[in-house]
Amino acid sequence: MEKVINLNMPSSSDGMSRIDGRLKVTGAAKYSAEYTVEGLTYGVLVGSTITNGTITSMDTKAAEHAPGVLAVVTHLNAPKVPGFQPDPSKPAPKKGPLKIFDDNKIVYNGQPIALVIADTYERALYGASLVKAQYNKEPHQTSLQESIGKGYPPHGDGLYKRGTEDAWKLAPFKVEQEYIVSTNTHNPMELHAIIARWDADDKLTVWDKTQGVKATQNDVARLFKIPVHNVQVNSKFVGGAFGSALRTWPHEVAAIVGAKVVKRPVKLVLSRADMFTSVGYRPYTWQKIAIGATADGKLTGITHEAYGQTSAYENFTEGTVRVSLNTYACPNVNTKYNLVSLNVGTPTWMRGPGEATGAFALESALDELSYDLKLDPIELRLRNYAEVDPESGKPYSSKFLNEAYQMGADHIGWKERKQEPGAVKKDGWFVGYGMGGGMFGAYRDGATVKATMMTDGRLILQTAVSDIGPGTGTAMVLIAAEKMGIPADKITFENGESDLPDAPMQGGSGTTSSVGSAVHDACAELKQKFQKLIGNGDTDNPDYVQVLKQHNLPLLEVTTKSNGGDERKNYSMNSWSVHFVRVLVNAATGVVKIDKVASVADSGHIVSPKTARSQVVGGAIGGIGMALMEESIIDHRYGRYINNNFADYHVPVNADIPQIDALFVNKPDPYINPMGAKGMAEIALIGMAAAVANAVYNASGKRVRELPITPDKVMA
Amino acid sequence: MEKEESFHGPDIEPDVEDSSRRNFLKQSSLLTAVALTPVTALKAAEMRVDDKVASVFEKLPLKMEVNGKQQNLSVEPRSTLLDILREQLDLTGTKKGCDHGQCGACTVHVDGKRINSCLTLGIMMNGKKITTIEGLAKGDQLHPMQEAFIKHDGFQCGYCTPGQIMSAVACIREGHAGSEQEIREYMSGNICRCGAYPNIVNAILEVKDGGQTV
Amino acid sequence: MKQFQYLRPATQQAVLDVINKPGTKIIAGGTNLVDLMKRGVATPDKLVDINHLPLKNITITKTGLHIGALALNSVVSENDLVAKKQPLLAMALKAGASPQLRNMATVGGNMMQRTRCGYFYDTTMPCNKRVPGSGCGAYEGVNRMHAIFGGSEQCIAVHPSDMCVSLAALDAEVIIAGKKGERRLPFTEFHRLPGDHPEMDNQLTAGELIIGVEIPDNNFSKNSYYLKVRDRQSYAFALVSVAAALDIENGIIQHARLAMGGVAHKPWRLFDAERSLIGKPASEDNFKQAAQLAMQGAKGYGYNSFKLKLGPATIAEALKHAAGLV
Repeated sequence: MEKVINLNMPSSSDGMSRIDGRLKVTGAAKYSAEYTVEGLTYGVLVGSTITNGTITSMDTKAAEHAPGVLAVVTHLNAPKVPGFQPDPSKPAPKKGPLKIFDDNKIVYNGQPIALVIADTYERALYGASLVKAQYNKEPHQTSLQESIGKGYPPHGDGLYKRGTEDAWKLAPFKVEQEYIVSTNTHNPMELHAIIARWDADDKLTVWDKTQGVKATQNDVARLFKIPVHNVQVNSKFVGGAFGSALRTWPHEVAAIVGAKVVKRPVKLVLSRADMFTSVGYRPYTWQKIAIGATADGKLTGITHEAYGQTSAYENFTEGTVRVSLNTYACPNVNTKYNLVSLNVGTPTWMRGPGEATGAFALESALDELSYDLKLDPIELRLRNYAEVDPESGKPYSSKFLNEAYQMGADHIGWKERKQEPGAVKKDGWFVGYGMGGGMFGAYRDGATVKATMMTDGRLILQTAVSDIGPGTGTAMVLIAAEKMGIPADKITFENGESDLPDAPMQGGSGTTSSVGSAVHDACAELKQKFQKLIGNGDTDNPDYVQVLKQHNLPLLEVTTKSNGGDERKNYSMNSWSVHFVRVLVNAATGVVKIDKVASVADSGHIVSPKTARSQVVGGAIGGIGMALMEESIIDHRYGRYINNNFADYHVPVNADIPQIDALFVNKPDPYINPMGAKGMAEIALIGMAAAVANAVYNASGKRVRELPITPDKVMA
Repeated sequence: MEKEESFHGPDIEPDVEDSSRRNFLKQSSLLTAVALTPVTALKAAEMRVDDKVASVFEKLPLKMEVNGKQQNLSVEPRSTLLDILREQLDLTGTKKGCDHGQCGACTVHVDGKRINSCLTLGIMMNGKKITTIEGLAKGDQLHPMQEAFIKHDGFQCGYCTPGQIMSAVACIREGHAGSEQEIREYMSGNICRCGAYPNIVNAILEVKDGGQTV
Repeated sequence: MKQFQYLRPATQQAVLDVINKPGTKIIAGGTNLVDLMKRGVATPDKLVDINHLPLKNITITKTGLHIGALALNSVVSENDLVAKKQPLLAMALKAGASPQLRNMATVGGNMMQRTRCGYFYDTTMPCNKRVPGSGCGAYEGVNRMHAIFGGSEQCIAVHPSDMCVSLAALDAEVIIAGKKGERRLPFTEFHRLPGDHPEMDNQLTAGELIIGVEIPDNNFSKNSYYLKVRDRQSYAFALVSVAAALDIENGIIQHARLAMGGVAHKPWRLFDAERSLIGKPASEDNFKQAAQLAMQGAKGYGYNSFKLKLGPATIAEALKHAAGLV
């Protein structure tokens, strides 16, 4: 019996299960480090122990003589990576990606200085411990707070202005506060890993953790100056990434170089400690935000400035202050975005990226304002509800955020909330409610899908996209099943290999929209092809097998490229979310417990209810981690992380998390794509940290403006 | 409780005798005490003979049963059970997430008890019965916990999943699945970064309430 | 990890014969030692596996409860005798580590575990405990997790065990075997303060082996509580923890035992606070007074100064739980 699914609030057992579920629960799903490759060797990186300066000498003898060690690759002996070499026809760029093993410069602590390759993992690891370097140390700076005066705008003057500058100052009600988001590290469960094998001098295969096999393929081809089609990148299963695999990192280059040196395949798996220094992080960001409002809660001005950290060699920018431009209707907005260059690795987008950082400040400040105004925080937001995009003036392609507010408020029991902080105490715990909202652009990129109907009735979908966990394949199969009118179990989805048709990176909440559109269009085209064969355009769902047999065809296939039209010119497209949280705050110890969560997504039509629900639940938990415990800490005297492990960098465990209501407005967006589906990954997290902080304030009267909200800060 | 009689060390006989070994044996009052590292290796190391020569002798035999199959291996004492499973036996279902006992991705059962295989030296598993995620299903028939994880979507990326499932099965066997709260506490040794915790709890509750033998 | 020689002497006597050599380490559960070896913090030449020794029993003796050094943390935490006679120990054990680690870790190994100080673990950092004379990274560094009692300029690391906090509170004795026979040490004296020798965690001398602990009978089983405050709800080390045990008759405290974790180089017994409670009603006010008394001599080092406030709050809270006031 088909169970009716409440798409507004699916339960964990509702809807079609993941197509790769069986592989994942049996251990048969193979991740990048798990391929059997003949002649495999093992590489282990050695990191610098200084934070800024140069290597003056290296002692690799002991490592080279250790049992099983095949090579020790350093800047002194590494073959030059062609793509690292300066192009004499162009001026040398001031900044650019780290060129591993290219010279003796050290710009952050833990920067790879050697790769030890051995016949077994244990021997490579031991060999790596024997590599010693002498340095010429130079002063370093790893603290954003201490060098905020050296901030600079990454583009132009870094300023944005709409209406009157600093209009908030003239308002009768105003809030001006500083907020800090600590460095968060993605820390997907799967360690970043690559197996690199040279098949010929100009031909390479890598099994690599990446959110985009095509992007990695292009990067590798460019760096090693070999034809793109000679680089095969495989990433069939990705054990989470959250942004950390959105670019090609130095360790990937190192493994490829190493494989060249030992003339054998090299497997390189980062250690958990490496994960803090080698594959990006959400940058430590200081923000100041000021909001002015009239007595009836109309926003009159927002001023928002942010200083985010970046490395000494690259500018990493994200949309931290953008949230203030277009989340709420406000006539006067001015923002300033600066970077601070430090002796750290380059940050990268981490789920929700800058918008999550910005939303913590904006949604916290609005909450503070609501108490000044003695106005319900939802009501304050409704009074400043943007009916059109305040930045561009364009209408929204769809926006049902007001419905989301209502759904979330109903589910959390918002009417139980007391406006007075600290008003409810039960068994030694304060009880409080908080909410916070998020928005993120909804995108659609070009993507290509090959769809093949076989005579056994199987439909095979092929595209290069990675699936890092959201259930992309499952959603694609559901789209195809509906379009083709065939059962989902007849459909196979093949992905994550660079010789498959082009697809964008899995990132920025765009996959279902981009690749889903291509699946939709490919199925439409394939169906048309069948209908042409039949000569009857009216046959909605033909018997594909019968038609193939009648025409004596082994299969029928299409390869369809799908692009959006000019709808983006006319509409502002965004996904929206609102998170509601009930917390318990221990009156004596300052411990915060998440008691109940309702997260609502206005992300268009829900294609795959089961996996969508999990994605929203997962985003909420990511946001809880950001709010309550995640912080990568550097001892600035040494410039080195001191909690670069899973015992000291806390992410939520099962005991931290209650049942979470994942709710969907589930109304299709009429413009973005044929499915009416908008993205979900980012908004599932954006706004959550503020919701928690706001709930902690409502519970205890303690406003924490520096994440994470650990017991010491609540007690202080 | 483990029977001492059943405990057998690797039955290796060193091929070379030397005085340090004799002294050692003499000092220890019992001749049954066994020095398990071949002395040639140690001697070579002491005499600073090329380490590459010594390396040949640094392995010890290891006999253990993995998923019902007897394995006769040769391992370095420093090799962890996790690395032996993944790199020598190609049982890559057991995952490496931290390598320091801080995430639970490497959870396997040893003689029926869940442990972190990353902090377990393989050589100490001699004579033990190991069950990994690959050994949970009966042929094509999934274990009820595997079914429940699929049904309740107890994962996203799938990387922590084998460890979660091994832990979940143990959680019920131990009698620690009495309530949602108890399950959460007794599943807290398995980190899931995708955030599938509520679904994992639901899966365990279903298996527990279903009363199937796990 | 460095290669090492792996030994499995057949008997306790054979173990004692080999462990006094320099560079020799005993391995039981290995949950801490293997971790330290992977990080290059511990680099033994010889590893002596003692898991097969008959030291796993939990038995009632004439004066108390005996627990073998090789009894697993999980087994002890679930044991009926422990639950009945010493529930505080079971609570503390369940607050530590994870179910998997508790299935590996032994009672003796738990006592021998080393600090989780980040400077101790990172071999590129100064640490007097790891390399005597190299300095203390934490003293002026990121010392949020560090000691407020009994620290020295050499070291402000804390002992990370939960189990040991309860055993210190319960007046347990450590039973140690050596070449010259057995000796017993009060649990509170087993671990040391760092002083000028932070490299020494405890009083065990070369060639000695912990064979068990014994907890004397008491009247605390009705009114015991272990409260652990940490950055997440489970699987995290304590910011502060408190083991509280009360013997209450007609609302009046007859005996009290209090010890703290996460605050010192050893489980920190609060003798003065205990004494102050005797003869008094089990009330929140009295608990708060005792908690303040307990903090005498406490010193913050910056990041960890919050413990000066969290400490007494946790003591009072633990006592309230123990007394059934929560």
